[in-house]
Amino acid sequence: MKTSPRVQKEVIESCKAGDETAFTEIVLHSQKKVFNIAYRMLGNLEEAKDLAQEVFISVFESIKDLREEVKFDAWLTQITLNHCRNRWKYLKRRQYFNSDSLDDPVETEDGDVPRAVCDPSDNPEALYEKKMIEQLIQRGLQKLKEDQRELLVLRDLQGCSYEEMSGMLGLPEGTVKSKLHRARMDLKRVLERAGH
Amino acid sequence: MDCEKVRDRFSSLWEKELTPFHEKGIKEHLSSCPECQREFQQFEKTMRWLHSVGEVEVPDAFLPGLHKRMEERKRIRSTEKSRKGWFNFPLPLKLPVQAAAMVAIVFLVLYLTKMMPLGEYRPRETGQPPSSLSVGKKSEQVLAQKELERGRGTIKIPAEAPRPKDVEQAKALLPEEKKFEPTTPQAKAETKGAEAPSPKTELLALKKIESKEAAKAAAPSPEPGKIEKEWVVRRKSVAATKPPQEIVLKISDREKAISQLRELVKQFRGEIVITKENEFLASLPAGSFSEFNRRLVGVSSTGQADKVIMRKQTTGDLRPPQEAEKEAVGEKWREPEKVATDEESRIVVRILLVQE
Repeated sequence: MKTSPRVQKEVIESCKAGDETAFTEIVLHSQKKVFNIAYRMLGNLEEAKDLAQEVFISVFESIKDLREEVKFDAWLTQITLNHCRNRWKYLKRRQYFNSDSLDDPVETEDGDVPRAVCDPSDNPEALYEKKMIEQLIQRGLQKLKEDQRELLVLRDLQGCSYEEMSGMLGLPEGTVKSKLHRARMDLKRVLERAGH
Repeated sequence: MDCEKVRDRFSSLWEKELTPFHEKGIKEHLSSCPECQREFQQFEKTMRWLHSVGEVEVPDAFLPGLHKRMEERKRIRSTEKSRKGWFNFPLPLKLPVQAAAMVAIVFLVLYLTKMMPLGEYRPRETGQPPSSLSVGKKSEQVLAQKELERGRGTIKIPAEAPRPKDVEQAKALLPEEKKFEPTTPQAKAETKGAEAPSPKTELLALKKIESKEAAKAAAPSPEPGKIEKEWVVRRKSVAATKPPQEIVLKISDREKAISQLRELVKQFRGEIVITKENEFLASLPAGSFSEFNRRLVGVSSTGQADKVIMRKQTTGDLRPPQEAEKEAVGEKWREPEKVATDEESRIVVRILLVQE
């Protein structure tokens, strides 16, 4: 579980007043989280970058409506998820994910790499193995339903608590847990079907 | 424990959320069920892989790109605002303005639809002329009124329709004469006399008054051109204020006197407008009136002419009765425009021939 220090209340107040320096501070503090959620949700670096920038523009425009500064992180995550949902629908309408297969090349930070067909644990190079695992997981996430992907990204990749997830998704904690378990089992099946 | 129930608790087992009792029961089932054990191993591997996924680094140009994008967005919005200023206007201000505009439009439409037909039909209903009549229409109405009066026998005017300027002159004369109506009994007598013409009785009712304007006109002038200009400037007011001159001429030979009179009028560039048995209505240039008057004395058998200003009610009274002849009328109406313009600087002279 990755936790980052919260954005200070004063910085949020300054940003509310239109201070661009405070806004830059917020961006520097939260950009990694927003970008990673976007990337795991969309599976494309360029799309994730574009979406993360849109998210921060929305934050700058609507931060004055934020009443409780302590909930800034949850509020930011919610904005990011909303943007991701919209972008996902947009890309799906344009058949963006139709050619997706677990055997397709995967776009990574180091460029497109061929999909590993064997278990990465057999590979002697740990780094390469890690890359392979990341690609498999990313492709597996893309095969899941959007709400399942959200649950996995929030809980297993972003390390959110069930309470936070419950608040962000507007679901009871029990429902979140059961849905999350179903998502994990589905991801397991996806990876199994891919030969892993 | 049922395999399905055990598999449903894989997440709880992996997250170590189960109570020791439940954890023990599941682990016992897993050790006894190879299928569930294989499933849990696969689940554990998936979760391990999932949690091994690290964070992706943000692209270097992320923040500058964000600032650039924000600047572009600002610029676009400012252009949109300037282009669609009204649409970006705050609604609390926009709504009252729109409501006021709507009310104004409704009132305007009601005014146009209700008032316009009334304005059109009013003259037809009442028979009164609209206030904004042109000069031409006014003159036509005056003419119609005169026609009506002529039908009663009080006015004699030519059959042809007069020009607007003629009518204006007639109008100019009318108010002046109306002033005398209620005060002077003589004028009433004159009116009666006009209805039943009798030169003698009419002459008795007249007074000898020298007109100031006539005296001015008769005064010798070293600069006739200058006077002409003055007359042009004042001709309207003069025409309006100057009463018609009346001259009683005592004659012995009527025919001779008439021919002399005509020649004299022609000589002074005047016109005989109406000729009756013993009455002449002549129009003369105002400047030559005194000279004409002097020369007229020569026509008279007694060598003197009586000049009076008639105090009468209407212009119709100044003229001969309806049955009078119209000898010079044709000549007058041949050049109506010229006469009309000349009349403004002219004096109307009524000459009564009295047989000795």
